[in-house]
Amino acid sequence: MEQAKAGKSRFKVDKVAIAFIAPAFIFYTLFIIWPTVSSVYYSFTSWDGISPKLRFIGLANYKEIFTSARFGNALKNTVILTVFISIFENAFALILALIVDSVRWAKNLFRSAFYIPVLISGIVSGFIWKIMYNYNFGAINSMLTSMGMGNFKQDWLGNTSLTLIMVGVVLVWKGAGYYMIIYLASLQSVSTDILEAADIDGASPFQKFKNITVPMISGAFTINFTLSLINGLKVFDQISVMTDGGPGFTSETLVYLLYKVGFNEGRQGFGTAVGIVLLFLIIVLNTIQQKFLRSREVQL
Amino acid sequence: MKAVKKPKPFDFVLLAITIILAIIFIYPVLFALMSAFKSNGDILKSPVAFPSSFYTQNFKDLFAQSDFATAIVHSVFLTVVSEVLIVCIVPMAAYGIERRKGKMTGFIYMFFLAGMMIPFHLYMFPLFKQMKMFHIFGTMAGPIVCYIAGSIAFGTLLYSSFLKGIPLEIEEAAQIDGCSPFQTFWRVTFPLLGPCTGSMIILNGLGIWNDYLMPYLALPSGKAKTITVEIASFVGQYTARWDIVFAGTIISIIPALAIFCMFQKYFVKGITAGAAKG
Repeated sequence: MEQAKAGKSRFKVDKVAIAFIAPAFIFYTLFIIWPTVSSVYYSFTSWDGISPKLRFIGLANYKEIFTSARFGNALKNTVILTVFISIFENAFALILALIVDSVRWAKNLFRSAFYIPVLISGIVSGFIWKIMYNYNFGAINSMLTSMGMGNFKQDWLGNTSLTLIMVGVVLVWKGAGYYMIIYLASLQSVSTDILEAADIDGASPFQKFKNITVPMISGAFTINFTLSLINGLKVFDQISVMTDGGPGFTSETLVYLLYKVGFNEGRQGFGTAVGIVLLFLIIVLNTIQQKFLRSREVQL
Repeated sequence: MKAVKKPKPFDFVLLAITIILAIIFIYPVLFALMSAFKSNGDILKSPVAFPSSFYTQNFKDLFAQSDFATAIVHSVFLTVVSEVLIVCIVPMAAYGIERRKGKMTGFIYMFFLAGMMIPFHLYMFPLFKQMKMFHIFGTMAGPIVCYIAGSIAFGTLLYSSFLKGIPLEIEEAAQIDGCSPFQTFWRVTFPLLGPCTGSMIILNGLGIWNDYLMPYLALPSGKAKTITVEIASFVGQYTARWDIVFAGTIISIIPALAIFCMFQKYFVKGITAGAAKG
């Protein structure tokens, strides 16, 4: 009732609401919105990060983005890494969730085991795998040798055609457990009544999976796929420890390009322009996800 | 209730597959743990082997040769102080939005949620400039205010969805008894939000504990920063002393692992609630 009245005078001041929300609003506006808005502005300048004077250069940074080979290479690397991560993270997460859901003993123990990599920081996970990948002293080559497969030995991170994928493997290992939890929750929301009814009607396990489980987890799939794509775009820590964008530029992604250009080459104006492209990609992915989820809701 | 069925052969096959997968997933962590208790020579000579004795020299060297103790203090300080402030600020905002529904609060909710899409890397350059303006660049206050700001989008979402499930009658009773809105919130509603606060603290705390880029860039160079920054700098610096770095990684992993073991259900709740709404 009160709200209906408040609707008429548009700015009826609710002092209590303001008092509750103000602290969060101030922090959020000062340290997220303000720098985001100013980065839109900086993307039109040749700011070097140090000098107080800004030179407005219009769309020059964006022009450079769409013509420079380095940006094209970074975009290509980002797409490869992100798609690789999303596909394999989701595939593993789904398999792990199905396994944990149907294994007969020690469900919680296994769930924890698959979740443990999620707890480890990006830097630490990158370091551990960097050592495991090492050519002379790494665990992987040493295992291959002891299993008599010495000819598969590789310089895993140094081989330019493998570098990105090897970084992706670390991210899949670290991320799968997170998405597993989401799949698991939606699997457990599949009512056993429906499954038992299907049993009575003589449905095969495959039919049950295809006609009951898959539709039930499709919402989780949309969410997980979008989340893993967005997180894939933002990968930084592992690249920083494992490859530093190299060898050459073979593992330089958009975020890493942004960082290097901004901090090592003093071109923060160009760096923020790359950041704007990144934000644009994230907004597009989010919009697609919303559309997908809404079209599903209509079907249900 | 269902009668307990006898295990079928399929159950044993599945168990075997699960165990193999679990070993593959845990192996890198075990590898780090084993390496932390080996001498550098052993790590290089036989990377896969178990440590031959309980060798703790790596940890002694770690603390003797670097300022790792300070890094631990910094990491703990950043995590704890940020968390305390987050828990003071975020639930209040969600309460204001959820319980005082109107055009303004509806707009603020959307405004906060939009923050989930903004990547840190986009605004980090202007952010550091701003920190310098506020004279908090290079101090602990810099990362702390950013962690608070960064927790608001997801936190408001989590608390709002949780608040929907809490009946209004309890709050109305408190108000009739003469509680002010603040008293009602802190004495009556906030204690009921316990599980939500648990998820919030744990997921955010893990993020802060494991964060790298912010403390690396926003804290003064030369001094010990945080555990992750120290480890990253070791990787470049002690290229020949993996034993020391492994000791550091174990120290970084153990608190996260301990908290996970104690509060597993909050992890699960937070992740699923976030995904269901996000």
